[in-house]
Amino acid sequence: MPGLPEETRLDARAADLDRFLASVERRAFRIARIALRSTDDAHDVVQVAMLRLAQHYAGKPGEQWAPLFYRILHNAIRDLQRRQAVRRRFLGWLPGSPRPDDETAEVDPLEQVADPQPEPGERLSQAEAMSRLELALRDLPPRQFQAFTLRCLEGLDVAATASAMGCSTGSVKTHYFRALQNLRARLDEVYP
Amino acid sequence: MSDDPRSGADRDFERRARAWFEAGVDGLDAGTRSRLNRSRQQALAAATGERRASGTSWTGAAVGALAASVVVAVLLWRGAGEPTSPPLDARVAADEAPGQALEVLAANEDDLRLVAAEEDLEFYAWVEAAAATAGAGES
Repeated sequence: MPGLPEETRLDARAADLDRFLASVERRAFRIARIALRSTDDAHDVVQVAMLRLAQHYAGKPGEQWAPLFYRILHNAIRDLQRRQAVRRRFLGWLPGSPRPDDETAEVDPLEQVADPQPEPGERLSQAEAMSRLELALRDLPPRQFQAFTLRCLEGLDVAATASAMGCSTGSVKTHYFRALQNLRARLDEVYP
Repeated sequence: MSDDPRSGADRDFERRARAWFEAGVDGLDAGTRSRLNRSRQQALAAATGERRASGTSWTGAAVGALAASVVVAVLLWRGAGEPTSPPLDARVAADEAPGQALEVLAANEDDLRLVAAEEDLEFYAWVEAAAATAGAGES
């Protein structure tokens, strides 16, 4: 916007960024919550992604924000998962530390969802359906998880998904198709 | 022929999965939404503040550079307009009277001592001349 004062241009850019972040924050939180199994950790990684995008990429064209944001988000999720794995491994050696089967350890509410094993064809509620989808998503390999959440749930096209994942469009198609087949194998008998 | 390997059943599954996910997003509680909103505002405030601070620092640097340039220009201008110490030979040549030349030389304490010593020599020369004149008169 040439000709506008610097202050006005910054305010307009901040308003655009505000709208973009508001449009993705809830989906991003749900994805992070599924991947990390912790509400607080999900909030943390979403905040990190917002902050980094705002600080480093606010000057980029608006159409680049979505792949950049999700790339930062998924990198933050992966980093936190690695730290969690290392922490679990080392804390497990300390006396008095919570064991994976310890009743005092943090309980994942999703894992407490009842598994009534409905008959094939039986329809469950939407909330139950989502819980089962989340459990199935967690069991996917990381790249398939990224491809499915970005393409199907976040609605990015193949090129934007490739940019967010840092790989080729061909790899995206492969990961996505395998994720789709894996999820259908887990859920189709319940949700034909 | 399309290179999309997805079947009709795949597309149905995608639609259902998207609908379940969107229902979950819409069902987020007020506390979660509020916390997300706060995170967004903090990110925007940090970024906006940073960019404005960055703009301010550049403005400050430009003002500082301009001020330094003005100071240098003034010093150069004054230096060119008011020569502080012209060559001594030129001043001596300009002043024909030796006394004035000595005044110019007497710019510091050492010069003043030299002037005093020269005055003493003149005094002693006068005393000697006066004594010789008196001696000649007596004889």
